[in-house]
Amino acid sequence: MSEVRTLIVDDSSVMRKIVERSLRQAGLDPLVVFEAGSGTDGLELLKVQEVDLILSDINMPSMDGLEFLRQIRAKGLAPGVPVVMITTESSEEHVKQAILSGAQGYIRKPFTAEQVKERVLPLLNAA
Amino acid sequence: MTLSLRESMHLVTDPRNLDASVEEVFQLMLGVNCRRCSGPVEIVEPESVTAVVGFGGLLSGACVFRSGASAAMKVASHMTGMEFAEVDDTVKDGIGEICNMLAGSWKSKVPGLAANTGLSVPAVITGRDYFLHVQAPEFKLDHTYKFDDASFEVTIICDGLQ
Repeated sequence: MSEVRTLIVDDSSVMRKIVERSLRQAGLDPLVVFEAGSGTDGLELLKVQEVDLILSDINMPSMDGLEFLRQIRAKGLAPGVPVVMITTESSEEHVKQAILSGAQGYIRKPFTAEQVKERVLPLLNAA
Repeated sequence: MTLSLRESMHLVTDPRNLDASVEEVFQLMLGVNCRRCSGPVEIVEPESVTAVVGFGGLLSGACVFRSGASAAMKVASHMTGMEFAEVDDTVKDGIGEICNMLAGSWKSKVPGLAANTGLSVPAVITGRDYFLHVQAPEFKLDHTYKFDDASFEVTIICDGLQ
């Protein structure tokens, strides 16, 4: 697999590290990770950095993950790049909202590296 | 039709949901098995760590995680693979996330609760000699758990249910 440039957006630095570790355990190698602590920082990063994959939390202060996702699409940033939401909110309604906002995948916290692999690898292979 | 959780009160207050949530979060995110203990958490050290995630919507209240500093550092250590000598920002961040996942996991176990109850971002309090007081909650689940030699307490407080 060629280098996978991945943006991880989460207000928790611990969760960003756990997501990165899970991606490595899932076999994404070589992996280049860019981190953003908020949706606003994520948007700024996408203006200057091309990525192959975006993983974002939903429940974040100031700009939540769904608004981040809507703005990516509205601003035409990262066209064709799969976005996977990682969140504790797991109801069908939340999944539907995420998909309607433009997400291609959804991972519920807590998660295993195997679940990350199952959700992420098909998206990368299809991209 | 007005949505109500009153008919599901026995499910909302089922203590097994909280035990299953703790087991799930600690097994998947820390790789450890927790066992429930009787009695309140034994915090013998002066500093303690408390994380709070609020519920809003059909159910209002909070999920509270509380432990001594050493147990909090042990939890964060299992999450990150790092060692900690003090309750720094990374430890607080990790404990906040654990509380967030416990709250999310717990509410996902009751139909109607997951979709109609939102979560706040976590707040983490550290210090000595403080108490968390809630006036006359509708119901409260208060459980103590242990893994290795670390003990912690998880409390679900409901102060309003529609």
